[in-house]
Amino acid sequence: MSLNISFKLNGEAVEVAVEASTLLIDLVREKLGLTGTKAGCREGECGACTVLVDGKAYSSCLMPAIKVQGREVTTIEGLRKPDGSLHPLQEAFMDAGAAQCGFCTPGMIMNAAALLSNNPNPDEHEIRKALSGVLCRCTGYRKIVEAVKAAAAANQS
Amino acid sequence: MSDKHDDKRKVQVLVKEKTDFLPFIKFKEAELTVAGQSLNRTDDPLKVTGKLRFGADYSQEGFLHGKILRSPHPHALIKAIDTTKAEALEGVAAVLTAKDVRGRNGFGAIIPDQPVICSDKVRFIGDGVALVAAETEKIAHEALALIEVDYEPLPAVFDPRDAMKEDAPKIHEGGNLLSYDKLRKGDVDKGFERADVILERTYEVPFLEHAYMEPDVAMAIPQRDGTMLVEGPMQAPFTVRRNVAPVVGLPINKVRCRQIHMGGGFGGKEDSPIDLGCRAAVLAQHTGMPVRMALEREEVTIQTAKRHPMIMEVRIGAMKDGTLVAFQGVIYDEQGAYASLGPKIPPAGGSHVHSMVMMAGPYVIPNVKVDAYLCYTNHPYGGAMRGFGAPQVHIAHEQIMDELAAELGISPVEIRRKNAFQLGSETATGQVLDQSVGLRETLEACAKAFEWDRRFSETGYIDKERSKRRGVGVGMGWYRTSIGTGGDACGANVYVHEDGSVLLYTGITEMGQGAFTVLPQICAEELGVRLEDVRLVQPDTDLVPESGPTVGSRSTTLMGNAIIQAARQVKQSLTEAAAEILGVAPEQVEFRDRKVFDRDNPFSSVEFSKVAGRCMATGRRLVGQGWWTPPAASLDPETGQGNPYFVYTYSTHMAQVAVDVETGEVEVEYYVAAFDVGKAINPRALEGQIEGGVAMGLGYALMEEVVIREGVIQNTNLQNYLIPTTLDVPDINPIILEMPNQFGPYGAKGIGEMPNIPATPAILNAICNACGGRVRSLPADPEKVFWAIREAGGAPNK
Amino acid sequence: MPQAFEELHWRRDISLKDYLLPETLSQALQMLREYKGRARIIAGGTDVIVALRRCDYTVDALVDIGRVPGLGLIEQQGDNIVLGALVTHAQTEASALVREKAGLLATACGAVGSPQIRTIATVAGNLVSGQPAADASIPLLALDARVAVVSTDGERTVPLSDFFLDVGKTVVDPTREILTRIEFKALGSNQGGCSLRLSKRKALSLPMLVCSVVVTVDDAKNAITEAAIALGPVAPTPFRSRLVEDVVKGKPATLETLHEAAERAYAYCSPRDSLLRGSCDYRQEMVKVLVKRGLRRALEDAGCVL
Repeated sequence: MSLNISFKLNGEAVEVAVEASTLLIDLVREKLGLTGTKAGCREGECGACTVLVDGKAYSSCLMPAIKVQGREVTTIEGLRKPDGSLHPLQEAFMDAGAAQCGFCTPGMIMNAAALLSNNPNPDEHEIRKALSGVLCRCTGYRKIVEAVKAAAAANQS
Repeated sequence: MSDKHDDKRKVQVLVKEKTDFLPFIKFKEAELTVAGQSLNRTDDPLKVTGKLRFGADYSQEGFLHGKILRSPHPHALIKAIDTTKAEALEGVAAVLTAKDVRGRNGFGAIIPDQPVICSDKVRFIGDGVALVAAETEKIAHEALALIEVDYEPLPAVFDPRDAMKEDAPKIHEGGNLLSYDKLRKGDVDKGFERADVILERTYEVPFLEHAYMEPDVAMAIPQRDGTMLVEGPMQAPFTVRRNVAPVVGLPINKVRCRQIHMGGGFGGKEDSPIDLGCRAAVLAQHTGMPVRMALEREEVTIQTAKRHPMIMEVRIGAMKDGTLVAFQGVIYDEQGAYASLGPKIPPAGGSHVHSMVMMAGPYVIPNVKVDAYLCYTNHPYGGAMRGFGAPQVHIAHEQIMDELAAELGISPVEIRRKNAFQLGSETATGQVLDQSVGLRETLEACAKAFEWDRRFSETGYIDKERSKRRGVGVGMGWYRTSIGTGGDACGANVYVHEDGSVLLYTGITEMGQGAFTVLPQICAEELGVRLEDVRLVQPDTDLVPESGPTVGSRSTTLMGNAIIQAARQVKQSLTEAAAEILGVAPEQVEFRDRKVFDRDNPFSSVEFSKVAGRCMATGRRLVGQGWWTPPAASLDPETGQGNPYFVYTYSTHMAQVAVDVETGEVEVEYYVAAFDVGKAINPRALEGQIEGGVAMGLGYALMEEVVIREGVIQNTNLQNYLIPTTLDVPDINPIILEMPNQFGPYGAKGIGEMPNIPATPAILNAICNACGGRVRSLPADPEKVFWAIREAGGAPNK
Repeated sequence: MPQAFEELHWRRDISLKDYLLPETLSQALQMLREYKGRARIIAGGTDVIVALRRCDYTVDALVDIGRVPGLGLIEQQGDNIVLGALVTHAQTEASALVREKAGLLATACGAVGSPQIRTIATVAGNLVSGQPAADASIPLLALDARVAVVSTDGERTVPLSDFFLDVGKTVVDPTREILTRIEFKALGSNQGGCSLRLSKRKALSLPMLVCSVVVTVDDAKNAITEAAIALGPVAPTPFRSRLVEDVVKGKPATLETLHEAAERAYAYCSPRDSLLRGSCDYRQEMVKVLVKRGLRRALEDAGCVL
């Protein structure tokens, strides 16, 4: 079965044919060419595939693509300030040295973005809890937490 | 130059005599402006925007998809394979068995003992018995199911001690004992006779998974001229090339390996790309088509290398005051089905020999005896994983040091203070540590920052229900820079262009450790330009000089030196040209901040780009090549005595944990880790190595284990192979000390592997300090801690 | 022992012919019927997609009830709290109503998987998957929850204590029926609850043990009049430890009672050895610890001073 779905992707309307079995991760990565969203486990464990759907963080590897019909999807490629410049989280990740191999980075940033949009001034535990669904093997998480704190502070000022 | 200049933080003079001979390189004494700075990573802008392409992100257009049929048996003979049904499936381009391998049917980082496609027998679950290439992954998968293999199961062996028995099933022709190595220093029997206290303990560690976040992928693309291009995430493109060439029957110059940015490696992507690269290349050669081979997470776990499990028997003897007098160790090191990086490359390469060398710890012990057995079994194979045989033996020596301290009634810090290496100490291999030995300094710095004395005195229950106890622990460690083989060398090319921009060619790969930032920093420092002026070329064996593998914590030091040499070669031309322009003698010329100065007259300078342009216009050489190899390694095969590695990094970690004494749950609450790194080229990136390493060591201590029963891995995905999350890792406080290495660029030595090594025993020691339970068989998960407390007769009362 | 093909050779995609999006409950039921057992309900999908990927079962179609109106409510109806079939773990965790009147359920829902999983995984789906480690099922058992199950034959109400049949098997036939509603009594002023979880890491982990307790005490807060103790995974299904409940019923709210309950709980359970979750012996010991702690915290929650 092939079905046409339409949704907003990174601010732009998209209409695309998907199969019943197409998962959101494969739709964005393969059909739409946005490879910033990563597949690390395909079972919702590693969090590298996190995207925002209507502003909330979702594991795109567990989501049938058809579910995003009529909704708004944001991937790492669509994360930016209205003027097109880098999102404060992206700046903060660079300045804190929060990315090492970079494979988890999009998932980390998307989860952090969902957190900051709900809770602009999170404490350390809230940050760690919000990011607890993204595994990182390189950093030990310290600089990632620092980066989220810095981005929150930058947003406040 | 001005006094102001000299007053700033100076890099120490690292060389006694000026010499043009390797490996001594004289480093400048002036203040560093690019090296030593916490500059942002060069690849960050791509990483934070999702633009950086990993292997799986490359277009699959025009590729066939390769799949591997794996053995369901841990040990079996292959009686027959029928591929006709699979071949008949529409969309299948090739179904290959052993007879289809045109060249050498074997690969391996050290010994090519692993078949590209098994012909007569399989040696572990995960062994490849057939390869399929098809138009889609789905078809390839369906084709696998249609291949009929007739196996005759053989008895299997899963314990290295069983594998050495005479009647054990023979896994390889040459027998199951792959390597036996020994170390003899002093007279260990006499040493134990002198000892006031002797302790004997056995420690066990399981297989560990690297759990790099990016699953493996390789692409093999036959070129029109007959060369074979292999692309993918790989830590060791030259090792991949060295294996692919004989497998496809081509000379080395007709195989090209191009490294794609890695989503983590930790040693695992030293040999998994050999496996995938060889197999994809065989399929590509056979079909004449580009072939892409990608593994799912479960396949990575089933098929690729692990950290070696070990059983370590330790006997230690000390005087009443804590002075160590004898150490005896036996290592049963499980290699699994294939040799990978286990066996010895003379004189001191291979993980097994490294374990033996490190086993007695960073302590002065006059009498040491180590016997190390490396055995094949029908398990997955052990390869390189961050520390290469050192993390395991640190778990043994650091725990027995604490057990000994408890027996002697002295503090864990005191016993280490008494025995730790210092300048001039002699190691278990008889190596005299004559430079860059900052171990004791790390102990003192760590103890101070951690407030060891206070925390050590404040352990005990922390809740009114008396279910949680707090404790502290220390772990010390040492780790080599370099790999201890004869052929350990790095080459670098530096090209300066007429506009002053620079291309840097090295074969060192980026896997997240920061090489693509640190190496250009060294290049920029040496040329007096800025980091953004240097573009680093992605490693490609057609373009870059042989650099060896990106392993062994060797990149910054070995490649850093090669880069400096290459840059200096170009600087000869630049110096001449600048001297002409400035009208001064060449010795007067100094490079800094994109300018070339008259040393005595800071107002007289010329732009670096103008100097480069003049070189171009006057036909001067703007291409430099550096080649650096460390002082020769030595290790006597009979006595294990010699200088196996030319310099070591040292470290002390301290952890505070809270243990739920009723359930065995452990929370790591506070952590300080101090390192003597020689020189931090990029301190923030180095901190990142420390923090990530500690988290990995924490996982080893508390939760990680590849659970295998009868050869079958029970936890193939990340749901059950547990690595620490944000909530498991505490805020880690790194401390960086710099005791310059006279053989290192600006004094640097390796850091990549060191950080995870002392972390595991520091946490295990803290657990014991908190609850009285000593976990000698990892991981110290809640159940093991619970039983350890039981064994100790319950948690302390007060 | 040879290993199964599926466990050795993974392919990344799932196999599915149709994905259906009913607008009403009766449409959804009709769709299931048309597929004659070859279709299955999907809500959040976190269990279904993983199961399809692992080939735990195969179906031709998924029927996505995400758009069916009326299934997303969390509300109090009289003495009862009602959760619709589409209520997620995150919504339950965050609901002021649940936190105040069934705090143990909010706690348990907050421990599942990760934030991304909790955002989409439904509590009803957690029940229907029927896993012995299903986090939400344990507190709901302790709360004496009932569930409404509809099919084209009509609706029935099932007490959760009769709901679980075996590992992965419940009274709901997911190819024919839909669990539409979960219902339980809000905790009263003489009641207290607690849910405790033991796992190998602090997020993203399946539990080694979950223990949920609800106690009812007398007005003077001195004696236990009723107790509900639910445990999992220590048996093929989440279960109520009735024998231990009987032991504490009518007893004073004292530490002695807790100890007695803990010893009994230890004696009355026999989890199996699990390579990944721990040995029988250990988990039996942990039942003792968690029952004691759970009762203690539940009593404190009910206002008792121990």
